Amino acid sequence: MQPDQAIKTEAMQIKKASTISWGQRFVMMRESRFGAFGPVLLALVCIWAYFGITEPVFLSPRNFYNLFMQSAVVGTIAVGITVVLLLGDIDLSAAATSGVCAALMAVLVTNVGMWGPLACLIAIVLGIVMGTTQGMLIAYIGIPSFVVTLAGNLGFQGLMLKILGIHGAINMRDPFVRGITTVALPPALGWALAVVFVAVFAWFSLRRQARRRAIGLELDTPTALYGSIAFFAVLALAAVWTLNSYRGVPLLVVLLIGMTALLGWVTTSTPFGRMLFAVGGNQESARRVGISVQRTRVAAFGIVGLMAAIGGIVGASRYASVSFNAFAGGPLLLEAIGAAVIGGTSLFGGRGSVWNALLGALVIGSLGNGLDLSGASAADKLMFSGAILLLAVAIDALSRGGGNGGR
Amino acid sequence: MSDRAETTVGRVAPPTAPHLVCRGVKKRFGGVEALRGVDFEVRRGEVMALVGDNGAGKSTLMKVIAGAYSGDEGEFFLDDQPVTIDTPYDAADHGIQIVYQDLALCENLDVAANMYLGSEPVHDGWGFLPRILRPLDDLLMEKKALAAIDRLKVRTLQSVRGKVGGLSGGQRQAIAIARAVGADSTVVLLDEPTAALGVAQTEQVLQAVKNLRDAGHAIVYISHNMADVFEISDRITVLRHGGNVAVYETAQTNTDEIVVAMTRGIDKGAPNAA
Ligand SMILES: Nc1ncnc2c1ncn2[C@@H]1O[C@H](COP(=O)(O)OP(=O)(O)OP(=O)(O)O)[C@@H](O)[C@H]1O
Ligand SMILES: [Mg+2]
Repeated sequence: MQPDQAIKTEAMQIKKASTISWGQRFVMMRESRFGAFGPVLLALVCIWAYFGITEPVFLSPRNFYNLFMQSAVVGTIAVGITVVLLLGDIDLSAAATSGVCAALMAVLVTNVGMWGPLACLIAIVLGIVMGTTQGMLIAYIGIPSFVVTLAGNLGFQGLMLKILGIHGAINMRDPFVRGITTVALPPALGWALAVVFVAVFAWFSLRRQARRRAIGLELDTPTALYGSIAFFAVLALAAVWTLNSYRGVPLLVVLLIGMTALLGWVTTSTPFGRMLFAVGGNQESARRVGISVQRTRVAAFGIVGLMAAIGGIVGASRYASVSFNAFAGGPLLLEAIGAAVIGGTSLFGGRGSVWNALLGALVIGSLGNGLDLSGASAADKLMFSGAILLLAVAIDALSRGGGNGGR
Repeated sequence: MSDRAETTVGRVAPPTAPHLVCRGVKKRFGGVEALRGVDFEVRRGEVMALVGDNGAGKSTLMKVIAGAYSGDEGEFFLDDQPVTIDTPYDAADHGIQIVYQDLALCENLDVAANMYLGSEPVHDGWGFLPRILRPLDDLLMEKKALAAIDRLKVRTLQSVRGKVGGLSGGQRQAIAIARAVGADSTVVLLDEPTAALGVAQTEQVLQAVKNLRDAGHAIVYISHNMADVFEISDRITVLRHGGNVAVYETAQTNTDEIVVAMTRGIDKGAPNAA
């Protein structure tokens, strides 16, 4: 990611925007790389402000800690789903895949007595295999992803029930697995990580600017450059400060940000990422420059499988048990797809970002958490989530330029 | 037909042997026989126009040469060496670049990304990773893209950081052309490159084509505009119903003759067919 560059592009476009309509301006803002953060960030701030006023407990460090933990499973799976959404495909089996992997891991640890890390590794491999298998059916046989993963969803739900056996739930007491969500970093380490994070970000931004100057390309404005560094510094330090005033930065948050950063880098800054965007944008063009559309698709589904398995492990750790309803049978799938879409990833393919999926997961998590605090009924929660999702998809459709001749 | 004597030489075409030769290219799409054994050749420093009615098979022939379709049959030679072209990468390795009739750009990517799609430069020193996972050198891409567009003199396109979806038809055409001529190439295939362009931009494209020709590239130029064809080409290949009609020296033929050849074909021994 190069937010510095994106901010600059955005600033440039807004400057030019004085003579163009609001609609176009909106489209342009969404098109810029950093601008895509805008709506979901705004939604998050609004939700936090609203619940902060109505339920003051909402903004307490303890609640934020819980909020991050609650959003982690949805976030992990949403990050994976984003990758297939970029292709214009969908994965309806992600939650069930997650459930199967979690169940297998639980059985291996609890019933077989396997070493925790090894069981996790096996679950992750299983997730990748499940994802790539579906990907091959989609890419090489040509069945639409919707159908393959719908079938996969049903099949994997059954498989999960089989693995769980008659008990329906397996308790997780393995210290390694539990540790993933119970360990928090000591405050000093949290601060150190934040400082390193900001320093690395600043170093990359400044080095990039120096290279632009050396090559003679147009430079980012100092406001955009230092503004983005300052923005991330404030964000990171505020997050660490908040979490440190409760129990410290959870290990899980660090893991999740690390994985998202890796996938974010792969999707935006490598030839493979370009392939994903190219196939999602115009499959025939991608094919004609020699990109293997099929292999790209299989790889993308492998990545969802991987992230689903990790989500399953995180879930097992967090709930201290693996049950059908926590994964395959519950709202997890729709929340994960919703998170990706609320984050601004297009269902039509070719546009989106894994970071936004995390923010989308936070939006969904915050809504649920805030409505819980204000004692809303399950019915209210469902209706609110539906409205937010609809709003997000409407924004997606609008920013595709619905009024601009469908371009 | 391909081994006919190359004695009569047009205005500027140097009397060299053909650079790219295709023999007996066939391609079927289900029941449609798009190419039924086409011979084709082009020399370096020459513009070979390729004309024919709609559906004659011009684009299909170009796509086969560019590796976008694999032909059912046919042989390819570069400087008399037989080569195989099965994928777009093969074609690019042999220095064959193409501007597609429908441009084939990704609207969700920016100009620079489109220009280097499939052949992105990566940073050195990441050899332990497979190539597709190495970091892109996007600043180098941006720089090369700017240079390539500058050479085409598209004044309306200032930044290469904008998404292609927001550009006009002519600007997109310019990008597709810049993409083809920016890469290392000896053969440039242009499939109706001026179809979306205004008068001034068409002039620019024709000028760019002449520059490429003078630099020794072998150029194939498809167009339905006879004025352009006669302005720019050295020879003209006529296709009809997926087969060869004839090859003409541009200097020794005229629009009427070409139009007749395109629409009705010619008798075998027509006087002007080279
Ligand atoms: N992908 C395809 N699938 C099926 N048939 C095709 C395909 N591409 C081309 N054809 C058929 O092959 C024949 C030749 O098409 P082609 O596009 O090569 O014509 P063309 O000479 O480029 O025409 P135009 O001047 O209209 O561009 C046509 O009959 C067309 O219907
Ligand atoms: Mg054509």
